[in-house]
Formats: sequence, structure tokens, C-alpha cells
Amino acid sequence: MSDVRKLTYGGAFNEAVRQAMEADENIFCAGEDIGAFGGVFGTYLGLQAKFGAHRVVDTPISEQAIVGLGIGAAVTGLRPIVDLMFMDFICVAFDQIVNQAAKLKYMFGGEATMPLTITTGGGAGLSAAAQHSQSLEAILCHIPGLMVVYPSNPYDMKGLMTACIRENNPTIMVKHKRLLGMSAHVPEENYEIPLGKANIMRAGTDVTVIAYGRMANETLVAAEKLAADGIECEVIDPRTLQPLDTDSIVESARKTHKVLVVHEAVKFGGLGAEIASQIHELAFDYLDAPVARIGAPFSPVPFSPALEQHYLPDAASIEAGIRNLVQRS
Amino acid sequence: MSTVGIIVNPNAGKDIRRLVTPATHTSDVTKIGIVRRAIVAAAESGAKRILLVPDTHNLAQRAADGLDAPVEVLDEPVSGSRHETIGAARRFRAEQAGAVIVLGGDGTSRDVAVGWPDAPLIAISTGTNNVFPTAIDGTSAGAAAAFVARGIVPLAVVGHRSKKVVVHIDDRGVVHEDLALIDLAFIDAMFVGARAIWDPLTVRAVVAAVATPASTGLSSIAGRIHPVGRFEPGGVFVRLGPGDRHVRVPLAPGAFTTMHIAEVRPLADGETITMKGQCVLAFDGERERPVSADATVTAHIESTGPLLIDVDHALILAARDRIFDATNHHLTKDSHGS
Amino acid sequence: MDLSPPVQFDLHRRMVRIRVFEEAAGRLAEANKLPGFLHLYVGEEAVAAGVCAALNDDDHITSTHRGHGHLVAKGGDFNRMMAELMGKSTGMCKGKGGSMHISDLSLGMLGANGIVGAGSPIAVGAAFANKYRGRGQVAVAFFGDGATNIGAFHEAANMACALHLPIVFACENNEYGEFTPRSATMAITDIVDRAAGYGMPGVIIDGMDVVAVHEATLEAVARARAGGGPSLIEAKTYRFYNHHGIQNLGLKYRPDDEVARWKERDPIFTFEDRMIENGTMTRDRVDEIWAGLRGEIEVAIKFAEDSPLPTPDQILVDVYTSMTGAAQ
Ligand SMILES: Cc1ncc(C[n+]2csc(CCOP(=O)(O)OP(=O)(O)O)c2C)c(N)n1
Ligand SMILES: [Mg+2]
Repeated sequence: MSDVRKLTYGGAFNEAVRQAMEADENIFCAGEDIGAFGGVFGTYLGLQAKFGAHRVVDTPISEQAIVGLGIGAAVTGLRPIVDLMFMDFICVAFDQIVNQAAKLKYMFGGEATMPLTITTGGGAGLSAAAQHSQSLEAILCHIPGLMVVYPSNPYDMKGLMTACIRENNPTIMVKHKRLLGMSAHVPEENYEIPLGKANIMRAGTDVTVIAYGRMANETLVAAEKLAADGIECEVIDPRTLQPLDTDSIVESARKTHKVLVVHEAVKFGGLGAEIASQIHELAFDYLDAPVARIGAPFSPVPFSPALEQHYLPDAASIEAGIRNLVQRS
Repeated sequence: MSTVGIIVNPNAGKDIRRLVTPATHTSDVTKIGIVRRAIVAAAESGAKRILLVPDTHNLAQRAADGLDAPVEVLDEPVSGSRHETIGAARRFRAEQAGAVIVLGGDGTSRDVAVGWPDAPLIAISTGTNNVFPTAIDGTSAGAAAAFVARGIVPLAVVGHRSKKVVVHIDDRGVVHEDLALIDLAFIDAMFVGARAIWDPLTVRAVVAAVATPASTGLSSIAGRIHPVGRFEPGGVFVRLGPGDRHVRVPLAPGAFTTMHIAEVRPLADGETITMKGQCVLAFDGERERPVSADATVTAHIESTGPLLIDVDHALILAARDRIFDATNHHLTKDSHGS
Repeated sequence: MDLSPPVQFDLHRRMVRIRVFEEAAGRLAEANKLPGFLHLYVGEEAVAAGVCAALNDDDHITSTHRGHGHLVAKGGDFNRMMAELMGKSTGMCKGKGGSMHISDLSLGMLGANGIVGAGSPIAVGAAFANKYRGRGQVAVAFFGDGATNIGAFHEAANMACALHLPIVFACENNEYGEFTPRSATMAITDIVDRAAGYGMPGVIIDGMDVVAVHEATLEAVARARAGGGPSLIEAKTYRFYNHHGIQNLGLKYRPDDEVARWKERDPIFTFEDRMIENGTMTRDRVDEIWAGLRGEIEVAIKFAEDSPLPTPDQILVDVYTSMTGAAQ
């Protein structure tokens, strides 16, 4: 099969949006530079040309208003996709995301639906420095009412983005900036990956590693190296971070008895803390070692490549972390 | 015929004088409002074509949008410079406009005079310290313009010939002809910079065709010493510097200063003034043209400016002729503004 | 009072310093020698130079993502700036900030900023402190046309006026925010039309004319120092290069003839021509100045290239005022 159809991570995102827009006239996109220019990461390329400026809207630099636009349109019957160029900019729009989008349905006694998708570029590794590199997913996962999705590959991207758009709750789709060019098989027909379902990327018996976004791929590289030494890792990509597929994680922990969580967000207060805690609560008696975590040091993302490279976990540091964990017991 | 042209200068009323004095800011929205009112009034008053030219701020198009009036935004180049106004005046002459409404300051009317020296003009002030244009509401301006364009009120009666300062510059063999409608000033400076003039010490001399104490700016210097009316022949030359007369002058709106007068010389129609030396020439209050130490600048005043339409007079004549009386059409279908 | 020749030379030097720095940075980026984003100031030099020349060393400025020009105009050191762009430990921010966060508090430059609009509220804070201390300092907030669409700008403008602070809002209206024309994102053409809504004067100046910018800023700063409150200066300007970097990659979003028209009005070359015509400068002297500054920038590049990279142990340094973070 030499001619399997391949798409990039960014292309898969684009195709999910395009197919959804073709199927549903209530869907529109809005964000900075996404129209004529196609978005600074090119993820919205060609959509305005196809669907027109009324459905793919160039907005002012007004993050609060961009999210507000999405909330108002969602609660009155449309299905908006709004883009916040960099994940860091959620901070600019935080009231709208946290106090409005997330809570509206609840506050209205359930009388509202919020089929809103917020898309944003997350992650470090481009020397984009402290305000354009952050991984702030843990903050979002802390907010009841939000759903947070973070794909690690093109196939998942398309299926998850499709699910986000169809979802009737506010979703935040994080696109990892360094995965945009990653290419892999993506079916042309439309498909959906259910939100809240983890993906067991690699089955294994010796240790469970939970990783998402770009770190899932780094973990796979580490796992292959360890396999050569006879260490079999089970690699789980939760894909959806809120709601988290705790069942799959706990089941794997009970099987391998050792768990490592990897993310590129700072370790303190990161999602790894929540996952470790859940495993300790639900599978303590099965563990051979405390759940281990790998994350970034507790500092803003540094600019210099010399620092950023050390700041971010990678296959080598994950491999070392796994060896460390396996050696216990 | 009955064609009315409207020119709106997007740049008027926003320069540095808002910073150095309490001058008024004229926003785009204000200008669009005046033009809209003028269009509606001109259409109401029987103009068959109301012409506009495009501008960098899209004021003309936005003013015309959605109006039930015979209004056209002509296809003219948008340069963002004074050539927009000059070109519009030329075009309106070619289109045989019977009256032109211009929104801006003295400089904007000057540009009209460059493009169409004899333009029948209603000049509405949206600039800063203006002498040539005055505060006229768009509604009155539009009606008067239409009546003049239709020939219902005769231009020969309500149009008054204004003056201009004709300027000849010979700078190292490069000859340039220019004009001002109110005044030409010689400014001690090397740069055009922020264009407006608010530092009294830099003003070396002024040749004024109109010198009125009821104005602010350069014209008020001469106006407070030797007033010269808008329509009387000749003008006045004032040289600043050590002398025995000192006058208090509002060089910019709401900002008074003492000027020292070295010389005051009434100028007859056509009488020439010659100046030499490095300076920046200011036309109608704006620094515009630096000249070198070798330059010779001559200037004289002529009564060959645009025909200024007296809006009050035009509307009074129309009223006397019962032009405003409603027709049967109006009585069956009344439209209250909007 | 016309600009004295020394003031003219100062304005010129500030502009050429910016140009030389930015051209070098652009070249290095094209050669893949600078990591990260690089928002170049080429074309807009008259604004930073004209404004900063009207300020004292202890006056404050806040900047934007397009911040090198502001720092150079405030007197920024080539060596340490270039080292910062390369992420070296000798850089202004020890390699941790880079282009988008370049700053020098000793020059009153409170930082380039990666968040559009975020500088203005900070400038309000600096202006407040200046008024509070009563030392006659002023603050200038630089921001783009696009930044006036963000809430932070509006809140800052209103608060500055409500508290009657010594601040100048200096808008660089270059007609684009990234790749989208201004006209697509606001229904007004002149940013100054917003000023009246807050109760401050707003003036438009030719941002390609350093003398015009300087004259206006002198007035605005004098007004602020004298207790006259905030004002807004809108400089109509243009960036000659892409939103980031030099090359326009991807879709074309500005017509070639528009770019060419603005380039004809190059703020440095037109000013040089004027000075030469006025007899305050000669062509030879102009060439000397460029050559001298180009020499300085070569030294800076060498300095930066020879400088050490920061070591990994520096990651946790300066997160808090003490040596290391509270947790890791
Ligand atoms: C809060 C925020 N939103 C969006 C961006 C992405 N962004 C960076 S620069 C820019 C355009 C800014 O336009 P303008 O203020 O006109 O400045 P210019 O780049 O033209 O100098 C945008 C949208 C950002 N950095 N911060
Ligand atoms: Mg801009």
C-alpha cells in the first residue's frame, strides 16, 4: 500500500473544519488573520476562499471579544469555531472562557447549550519565548464546564476536531505548534473520535507511560529504544484531558504496576499531579512504586535554544525516567 | 445640468494644533454626517447629479451609502495627498458642476482653487483656524448648492469673487508658481515638520489677502493691525521683528501671544512683494515648501479666487421665490429627515 | 525655534542606528542564526527616533512585539541587544527573553511585549508612579494600530485620562496587524478619532517625517510634564518588511505598488536629503555615519557570536527574586 493518503496534523485540522462546514451551515470560524491569510499557522488555509468572508471571519485583535462572539453565537443557535492564535492568549480572554463559556449552561439552570470550539496553538520548542510557548492545559482542565482536547498525531487530530465541533459543550482544541507539519495516514471520509477516550498507542507489560501532545510521540521513540533492552512500555495518550479517561489509565496501572506521566507543562500543578493522584486513589494496592512525573522545571519558558532544549522533556529524558522507574522494586 | 460636486478632505481637523492648543477635533464620523446632510439636502433641492470622489478614509463612499439620492462616487485615483482635492476640482469642472461644496480647512479650499480657479464654491470649515471656509451646516450647504446649480438663484448675485496671493518662486533656477487664498508666510525653519505654525518666533513675514481680527492664526496678525476684508481689493504685508508696535494675537485657537511688528505695508491689487533668503514658505497657515538661501520669492494679490457662494443669501432668495413650498407629491408622502 | 543642527544629527543617528541594527538582525535571521520570532522596525524608524529624542533618560517607555527600534532609540547597547537576539548569556535578558521581550530598565525601557496591547496598562502604571513621586518624568506607551482593538488599550487610555497622568500614547499606525489590513478590523481610519472618547487630545502626524514626530512629541511631553495630562499621537507609518522576518512568506497581503510608494518616502533618506539641501550635513558625512554604525554592528555581531550560551542551570535562576523556584 504505497499510496495511503497522507495529511499533516495541520491539514487534518483543516479538513475536519472544512468537512464540518460543508455539512452544517451553522458552523462559522472567527479569529485573527484566519480569513484571507489562512491563520498564522496556516491551519485555516483556503477556508475563507471556499466558504466566504461571512463564514470565515477576520477579527480585530480582541481575544475577549473573539471568545465572547463565539459564546453569544453558540448560545443563540450557531456552532462557532473561534481561534486564539497562541494558547498563551487564553489569559487575555480568561473571563470569557472561565466565567462565561464554562458556566453559562450551569448558571442558566441547564437552559443553554454551548456548542463552541476554541482552537489554539500550544506548546514550546520554537524559541517563541515566555508568552508564545506555554502549555496551560492544566488551568483549563481545572474549570468545570470545559472540555480540553490535545491531539498527538494527524489521525487523532481529524477525528477529535470533528468531535469537538459536534460537541454541545465548550471544547478547547489545542494544536501543538511543533506537530503542525507531522504527516501520517488520514482517511478522507469524515470520522469522529469520541471525546474522553484514551488511545493505547503501544501495548506493554512493564510500565505505563501517560503522555499527550508532542510528548506522546517522544514517549513512543523512548519506548522503542527500551524495547530493544527488553523493557515493554504501555504508552497511553489520553487525547482528551478533560474529561480524562481515568478507567483506561487505572486499568493499565493495575496491569503494569508502574506509571510515569509526561507533559511539557511545568511539573508543579500540572496534569501529572492529577493523574498520579487518581491512580493513587484507585490503584494504590497495585503499585510497585509511586507514580512518577516528568514535566518542565518551574520557570517561564526560556527563549535561548540552549535553555529551551534543556527545559523541555524529550525522548532521552523520558527514556531515563522510565529506566529509573523500572529499576525500582 | 444641475450637478453638485462635494469634496471632503479626510485629513483636516486632526493636526498637531490639538496638542498645542484647545483646537477642535473633527472626527471622520462628523465629516461623514455633514456630507450625508449635504447630499440629502441637494437631492431634496433638485440636484440631478451629486458627485463625490473617493478618498483614503472612504468618507465619500460611507456618506453616500444607502441614501436615496442621485449620488455617484466617481472613479478617480486615491493618492492620499492634496492631489486628490486638486483632481476632484478638475473633474467637477469637466463634469460641469454648477456648485462645489468643499469640507476642510483653508488649505483644502486652496487645493480646489488650484484645480479649478473659478470654482463656484461653498466652503465648510472642518479644519482648525480657518478664514476661507466657515461654519455652515451640510443641510443648508446642500440646498444652496443645488439651487445655484439649477440656476434657480443666480450665481452672479450670490457668488462673490474671492482673492488669492499669487506666488512665484525662483530657487536656483527652478521656478515654481503657487497660490494661497488667505496668506503666505515666511517661516524661519528648515523643515516642514508637523506643518502647522504655532511658534510665534519663527514667523518672519506675512502677505495677507484677507486680514481679519475675527480669526485665529497668521491672518489674525495682520487682522489686528490692518484689517482687510474678504472681498475688498488688495491686502497687507506685515514683517515681524523688532519695532515699536506689539500686538496680542491668537496664533492658534485659544492661545494668545505677543507679536513684535517691524513693518506694516498695505498692498494694492497687483503690487509685488519680493523676499529673499532661506525659509519655509507657509501657504494658508501650513508649512509646505522649504526654499534655499538663494531663492527669490515674489508675491502679489489678485481678485481672481473662487466664487464664494453666500449660502444665507441663496436660501433667502429661494424662500422669496417660494421654492420651499411643498408640492402635491410631498403632501401625500411626507419624509421626516432620516 | 527651529531644530538645531545637533538635534538634527541626534535624530538622524538614532534612525540610522535602528536601521543598521534591524538590517543586520534580518540578515542573521535569513541565515538561520537567530532563533524565534523577529519583528523588524525598518521603515518606522522616524517614530521611535522622533519620540525617544524628546525624552530624558529617566523617562519610561513601554514597547511592543516590534520593540528593537524602541530600545535602540532609547539608547540600547548594540552588543547586549544582539547577544539577546542570539539567546546568549551576555544578552540584555541573559538569553531568556529574546527579541519579543527585550528590555533595559536602566534606560527606562520597560520591555518589548509578546502580548499585543499589554504595554499600555504598564505605561499607565509607570506614569502613575512618576506623578506620585513628582519627579517630572513621563511615560510613553508605544503600540500599533491593531493594538487599539484590544481591551487593554481602552482600559489604559481611560484610566490615564481619569487619573490625569503624565503619559503619551504613541500609536504606530502602519495600516496592518500581522497580515490583515486595518480597514478589515475597525470602522475608523484614524486612531485619533478614539482619543476624544477618553477626553484627551489626539493628533495625526506624518510618521515618515522624523521632524514632525519630534515636534509633536516635544509638545505632548511638555504638556504631560506640566500636568496637562495624557495625549495621543498617531504616526502614519509603514513597515518595509514582513510582519516577522524580512521575506514575505506565504500569501501576499500587501500590494507591491503600495509597498513601493511607502519606500519612496524612506524616513532616513528623505531626512538626509533635506539636511544636505539645508547645508547642515554633507553626503560624505552621511556615508561616514553609516559606515561607523555598520562597523559597530559588526562588532556587536562578533561579540554576540563569541558570547557563551546560557547553561541549563540558569533555567531556574531569576524565576523568583531568590535563586531558585519554590518548587520544581
Ligand atoms: C493578545 C495577542 N493577540 C494576538 C497576538 C498575535 N499578534 C502579534 S503581532 C499582531 C499584530 C499587531 O498589530 P499592530 O498592533 O498594528 O502592530 P504591528 O505589528 O503592525 O506593528 C498580532 C495579532 C499577540 N501577540 N497578542
Ligand atoms: Mg500595525
